[in-house]
Amino acid sequence: MSETVKTPAGATLAPMPASELWRIILSMTVTCALSAVVLGGIYIATERYAEEARVRGERRAVTELLNLSEDAKVLEIRQYLTPARDAVVYRLPGEGTAGGRELVFALDGTLTREGMLSAAAPTPRDLHSLGRIFVAMKDGAPAGFVAEGETRGYKNRIRFFVALTGDWTIAGVRVVEHEEDPGLGAEVATGWFQGQYVGRPIGAVPRLDVTRDPMPEDWRAALRARARTDASAWTTKYGPLEARESEKPIYAVTGATISSRALTDGVRATILHFRRRWELLGPHVTGPAGSAGLEGTP
Amino acid sequence: MAMRDRSLPRRAAAFRLLVIAGIVLLLVTLAASLAAAAEAAGAPAPGGSFIRGARILAPDHVRLQLAGPPGSLDPANFRITDSRAPDVPIEVRDVVLDKENRVLLTVGDRLDPAAAYRVTVREPAASRDVRPAPWALLLTIVLSSALINNFVFTRYLGLCIFFGVSKKRDTAVGMGFVFGLVMILSAMLSWALYSLVMAPLQIKFLQVIVFIGVVAFLVQALDTILKKTHRSLHQRWGVYLMLITTNCIILAVPLLNAAADSGPADSFALALGSGIGFAIALFLMSCAREKLELARVPAVFQGLPIAFTLAGLFALAFMGFSGLTFLR
Amino acid sequence: MSTSQPITLIDRPPSAKTLLMNGIFGENPVFRLALSLCPAVAVTTTVLNGLMLGVAVLLVQVLSSVTVALTRRGIHPRVRIPVYTIIIAVWVSAIDMVLAGFFPALYAQVGLYVKLIVAFAIIISRLEVFASRMPLIPTFWDGLGMGLGFLFALLVIGTFREILGSGSILGHMITPEKPLLFFALPAGGFFSIGLLMAFFNAVERWRNGGKASAAGGGGSHGHA
Repeated sequence: MSETVKTPAGATLAPMPASELWRIILSMTVTCALSAVVLGGIYIATERYAEEARVRGERRAVTELLNLSEDAKVLEIRQYLTPARDAVVYRLPGEGTAGGRELVFALDGTLTREGMLSAAAPTPRDLHSLGRIFVAMKDGAPAGFVAEGETRGYKNRIRFFVALTGDWTIAGVRVVEHEEDPGLGAEVATGWFQGQYVGRPIGAVPRLDVTRDPMPEDWRAALRARARTDASAWTTKYGPLEARESEKPIYAVTGATISSRALTDGVRATILHFRRRWELLGPHVTGPAGSAGLEGTP
Repeated sequence: MAMRDRSLPRRAAAFRLLVIAGIVLLLVTLAASLAAAAEAAGAPAPGGSFIRGARILAPDHVRLQLAGPPGSLDPANFRITDSRAPDVPIEVRDVVLDKENRVLLTVGDRLDPAAAYRVTVREPAASRDVRPAPWALLLTIVLSSALINNFVFTRYLGLCIFFGVSKKRDTAVGMGFVFGLVMILSAMLSWALYSLVMAPLQIKFLQVIVFIGVVAFLVQALDTILKKTHRSLHQRWGVYLMLITTNCIILAVPLLNAAADSGPADSFALALGSGIGFAIALFLMSCAREKLELARVPAVFQGLPIAFTLAGLFALAFMGFSGLTFLR
Repeated sequence: MSTSQPITLIDRPPSAKTLLMNGIFGENPVFRLALSLCPAVAVTTTVLNGLMLGVAVLLVQVLSSVTVALTRRGIHPRVRIPVYTIIIAVWVSAIDMVLAGFFPALYAQVGLYVKLIVAFAIIISRLEVFASRMPLIPTFWDGLGMGLGFLFALLVIGTFREILGSGSILGHMITPEKPLLFFALPAGGFFSIGLLMAFFNAVERWRNGGKASAAGGGGSHGHA
């Protein structure tokens, strides 16, 4: 073949006979069609695994955060905003093969619709997702909550879970997705940084802030030890230290103030949003005792 | 004779430097003025324009300019919500009338000037969105991708071409310009294909093939068109076009836009910013490398190793942009 | 190692060992040919990230080379570059999906760069220079050699940066503190590669008794 065809384009090509043109078109079409088929097949095959892996990872994060046993009952509630942004839709899964429930609230908090969904009802695609809530149920009462949140970090978005105990203190924060720089922003995804949120009561959340002051070394050692020691031993040893630090703001990672602030703002927003929504939703999920403990909090 | 030959290119180079410095200065002033104008932004929602203006005064104040006296100064008369969570009212702690028809609200949460909120007054009934001007948001994206998250120095993309083309200032300027042009065109075309064709048809997994196809097609088309219409331009810029096809950035921008589900304006801003950032990076690097040719570089460092070290120094300098924000 | 160039021009396909060693040392894509530098800086913050991307590139290289070697008679020369690009893109997408499905946590770190493999010059240049002219078996070894060379380069840089920058290897701390966090940052990545390239140049000079061609710097690689 003519060796003038050197570069992807631009070289002067000799005029082509029609048969050659058809050969080229056929060759390209076959290649493209074959590629599409191969990719489509791989997509169908792997999509299921990607989905399962994600669900498994989230389930593990939730049970770890709430300190539950593997077979604890966890209710996953999906929250949506209608396309017109004038109502909030909650979808609860059903038991076994039964369909789930759907509750629709207007923006001022009144329940406008409550109904059952058939098991196979797909989610309408134009609903904006507001994230999910995971409720751990024990003996019919909520033993803990995990709310999903998202915030814009330094590089891209940071997705995280916030866990609250049944009596409304922060049980933990777990970053599940981020693109921050390792050694800097990525430190917000470490256990010791996230340990700073643990134990703070919901009343302190609206004032939650970040400080650039350096973290005291004894507190840093205590936080690092938290992952290695069991809870009661840790509280015995570091209880007073924790009491001293629980009123202080979150210490930012040195050199990663933006990421630290982003996560703290995200945690604060997620908790406040969840608190308001559970006030409305709780009684419908668990009965009138659902939102106990929230009265009187600012 | 040698003296005169050297002064002409030097003057041309100095002129180019001036032009670029001027553009950067212009961008910065534009950004500052737009940010200042951002406070007046916010479209009145249907329901009247009783609220003339609204501005977030960080961290926990909102100032409302009204068309008349409010029905009541009771906090219950006002409602503020984050537009991402319109069902969660932010607690209004205090309302103060600080000037005629102007109220200052103190809220119980920390407000973000870069986010969008909605303010509603019950009596008289009116509501308004408070958000930074779309211009300011887009400019943030442009500056972010040009300086703060510069594609070459912070995201290490486009290095392939970066080190090859940055040896001389002329080639660097040429490449930067051509690249910016192709970047914007291909990003918009890719966005259109992704949002209007691939997303509805659920074939997002073909994005890699489609995007690189767009780039290859565009490069080919530009090359052919230029050769037919502007032969002289093609002589000068043609070779850069070919190099663009294997540039990582040209593929990364559509991929990033796809991952973030950006709208057309955001996609354009990202493409523009990355083009500007790449051009700036190329230009700076080429200036330094021209000087480097006269320096005494150790034998093992000659060529790419010293260029990489130089890039590292630039990357370090660009880290200084990391706190840059115009939305306050 | 300018004598390594003729490998692609010999009529009789070279042996597997020659091809492998060439890919790893003689014509190492990163240190000698200075191609595909983007990921070399981007993903080498930790050894694990570098490993993942290196393996992905290895797979794409081998699979694409083999595909082209098997189908080269059916590819029309005038459209061979687009066809190569499509073949590479198919394999990249396939590996991207497989990684996303089975290694989601790791994939989150390197996801963008896996998709960018399609733009790597090393792969398409190998297809053009080798796979389209040689039969299947030598092409396989060449692809494997180049892929291993790339993986080797990523591992070397990753180890260097992770030990100095984070004080760990594969996540296990080996020093009490982070020695020089700088090396985990983008700027440090550039420095690391510059230093390592210079080091490999020095090694080549020592091996050749004082006369060697500099890595990549000798020729002005306008594209990569």
